[in-house]
Amino acid sequence: MAERRIETGNTDMAMRTSAPESFLFRLKRSTALRSSMLLLVLAGVWLFFYFATNGIFVTPRNLVLLALQTSIVSLAAISAVMLIVTRNFDLSVGSAVAFVGVILAILTVKHDVNAAVAVLIAIAGGILMGAWQGFWVTRLGVSSFIVTLAGMLYFRGISMIATNGATVAPLPRSLTGFATGFLSPTLSISAVILALALYGALRFVEIRRAYALGVSGNVTREFIRALAPSMIAAIIALWIASWQGLPYLVLLVALCTFAAEFLMRRTRYGAQLYAIGGNPEAARLSGINLTRAIFWNFVIAGLGYGITGVALTARVSGAIGGSAGLFLELDAIAAAIIGGTSLSGGRGRILGALLGALLMGSLNNGMSLMNVPTFYQDTARGIILLLAVTIDQFSRRRSLGR
Amino acid sequence: MNENEKVQSAPGADCFSVEPMLVATGLTKQFPGVLALDNVDFSIAPGEIVALLGQNGAGKSTLIQIFAGAHASGSYDGTIKFNGKPFQPADIAEAEAVGVALVPQEVNIVPDMSVEENLTLNNEPLGWGIIDVRKRLLLAKKALVGFDIDVDPLVPMSSLDLATQQLIVIARALAKNARLLILDEPTAALTEHESILLFNRMRSLKKRGVAIIFVSHRLGEVFAISDRVVVMRDGRICGRHEIADTTRSDIVVEMIGRTESNIQRSFSPKPGAAALEVRDLNVLEFEGRKRVSALGLTVGKGEIVGLFGLLGAGCMEAALAIFGAWTGKREGMILIDGVQRAIKGPDDAVAMGLGLMAQDRRDCLIGDQSISDNIRIASLDKTVRYGMLDIAENRRMAREQLDALQIKADSIDTEVRTLSGGNQQKVQIARWLAANTRILIMVDPTRGVDVGARREIKRVWLELSTKGHAILLASTDAEELVDSCDRVIVMRQGQQVGELSGLDLTEKNLLRMATDG
Repeated sequence: MAERRIETGNTDMAMRTSAPESFLFRLKRSTALRSSMLLLVLAGVWLFFYFATNGIFVTPRNLVLLALQTSIVSLAAISAVMLIVTRNFDLSVGSAVAFVGVILAILTVKHDVNAAVAVLIAIAGGILMGAWQGFWVTRLGVSSFIVTLAGMLYFRGISMIATNGATVAPLPRSLTGFATGFLSPTLSISAVILALALYGALRFVEIRRAYALGVSGNVTREFIRALAPSMIAAIIALWIASWQGLPYLVLLVALCTFAAEFLMRRTRYGAQLYAIGGNPEAARLSGINLTRAIFWNFVIAGLGYGITGVALTARVSGAIGGSAGLFLELDAIAAAIIGGTSLSGGRGRILGALLGALLMGSLNNGMSLMNVPTFYQDTARGIILLLAVTIDQFSRRRSLGR
Repeated sequence: MNENEKVQSAPGADCFSVEPMLVATGLTKQFPGVLALDNVDFSIAPGEIVALLGQNGAGKSTLIQIFAGAHASGSYDGTIKFNGKPFQPADIAEAEAVGVALVPQEVNIVPDMSVEENLTLNNEPLGWGIIDVRKRLLLAKKALVGFDIDVDPLVPMSSLDLATQQLIVIARALAKNARLLILDEPTAALTEHESILLFNRMRSLKKRGVAIIFVSHRLGEVFAISDRVVVMRDGRICGRHEIADTTRSDIVVEMIGRTESNIQRSFSPKPGAAALEVRDLNVLEFEGRKRVSALGLTVGKGEIVGLFGLLGAGCMEAALAIFGAWTGKREGMILIDGVQRAIKGPDDAVAMGLGLMAQDRRDCLIGDQSISDNIRIASLDKTVRYGMLDIAENRRMAREQLDALQIKADSIDTEVRTLSGGNQQKVQIARWLAANTRILIMVDPTRGVDVGARREIKRVWLELSTKGHAILLASTDAEELVDSCDRVIVMRQGQQVGELSGLDLTEKNLLRMATDG
């Protein structure tokens, strides 16, 4: 009887598909809508801080600061998304980043190695760390949670051993200059416009081809729809850049984001990663080599360690083996989750994670401006994370249906 | 032999009572879209062994699940009486408390726990709220001795062979004072020798007055052990016989539901050159248990070759192994278009032009992703343009397949999860067509698919064969194979036992060949 009742319940619902139900349904299902919901929340938070801080929050000066404060978490969040999409975890980011920093600092400070060479070696070190963890996960079949938990411990340990617990500083000017410097306003504005133009061209070519193959409607309308969000982002970037240009570090984040988004959304490899996360068995039976794909996933994460480690070390002008990047892995995972990456894999956008990082950064920055103690800041971030994950769970019912 | 059984069973039934133990009348169970049981009457007396027979989907499982309490009382129509009292279990625990226990086909044990822990699982004797370890050991020993199993109760379950595990699972059911024991294909995973051990135990239970419902596909066993046979088809009971009064071929005819249908696949041209050839295929589990031995087969271009066997016969394992998807060991030679190829994994197979539709479509589809994403994943290599994924081409491909296979969905962006079973299967076919697959291996492709969609899917593969695709169809559905295949290779317990084609290819012959044990 019970089953029959449920059955009729469904048909009833289907028959009177009214607007609110279908809207709610779409709200629950659509990733696009979720990221725009995140944008709405972010806008609300900014509006709140705008009034609470007498407009100080939304000034180019503070937004530049906010972007700089968010940059390290954003860099780490990029590889966090790529790993979580394939149902893998990385708990070692913070320690690995500290280790990269130690390599960079020892080379430049103690051995006077040329900065560019030292950066390359440090990044290569990061890649090796990623490959090392990837080897354990894919070849020896140890779960990534354990492998990276171990990595979190021994990368931190090695960093401390190598520096004997002391801070290695100061880094050469050329490196700190990069982390604190700005690209001139003229060049920044040109860069923003160039990036927009490149992106526009890419989308235009794509939409034209889709139209030619009969899978897209009106080219102009599709083009405007595709470009509108990036136009708005560009306008904000231009406004900020007009103050004293854009920080190199923020440009680096933008470049990495673009590259990672491209890899995930526009290459065969990215499509494979989403398929693996969506259903590993289905991916395997469709001829995707899981071992290879996930190994490279960790190598790319290693490249992330390298870049993030160099950026962080340069930003604080030295390597602190014990505390550099502490809890970075948790912030990165939180940013990814708030940004819509699903813990059960197969879904997640790099851009969403950046918005997630920006939201958490905004809360910190805004509350600091309001002189709210840091304890409250952590509490607020915790609650946001909890809400984000809850929404994530409600938005999905796993199973193929009957 | 039959005479002996008869002699044994008659006094047994008299000894205990003439009153039946369980009487079900007018059982009707409706699932969404399917009438699983249609006005079924069934009864069994103490000390009686009744074999329940029927093809897949005949309603056997539903019937025994109702008895075992897996479908709550009230979710079906009809009445059941157990020992004269109304029997309305809300769940499995209630049914067990009254004395009805189902031992499912899959041996469900906790491998890392000891025998005694498994025996008392969820039924642990408590003292002061914690498990009374001494009492547990006693209970376990009693259960083992009572069922005449000579095993140390402290060894881990995983150290025992499958047959012993099966016996222990039955002992666990009996330990809960089961008066009616339901065994769902208990021999599917057992060797002949192991089966005989099980039958000896069943006979001793019978002497103790336990009633046993025994579901099996192996007719040889059925005739060796049961007192009566009940044959089901399409949710109804279509035959009840004393075992002495019937023959195997009568029962096969009843299971199929018609005397004979010699409707052959309409076209039967000479097959093209061999697209897929398999020689001396051995499939083993990691522990060394052989699932398939020395299988050899050839599928020509444009040919549909069936691989028929009952559950556990090795067809599914063979199909997976050819595709490189078997997780255990594999030996043998595979030739694609006459050239020997090393297929180490599914990625190699796909690169050689093979495609697989696995038995459980949840293993093959990404439910939370769109139709388009599901279709493209086997052909990502072929749609790269200037180093980038050609997303427009992916979408065009998906739309083309959506139209060609008439997949019913709002758009190619619809999540596969929301589609019906038949349409999900079509998405799988679409994936391989988009990837230009020449050799398709399908395992039970129409399982859980309604009749209408089933016909459409059949039409699709018949069409594919006329276009020169080679199709290997591993199935437990005899009717489907007779309708579609040029030839069918029959397997039994991992061995290739014969091949049927032309006028010999009938359901009756298939079933007879697959069941003769």
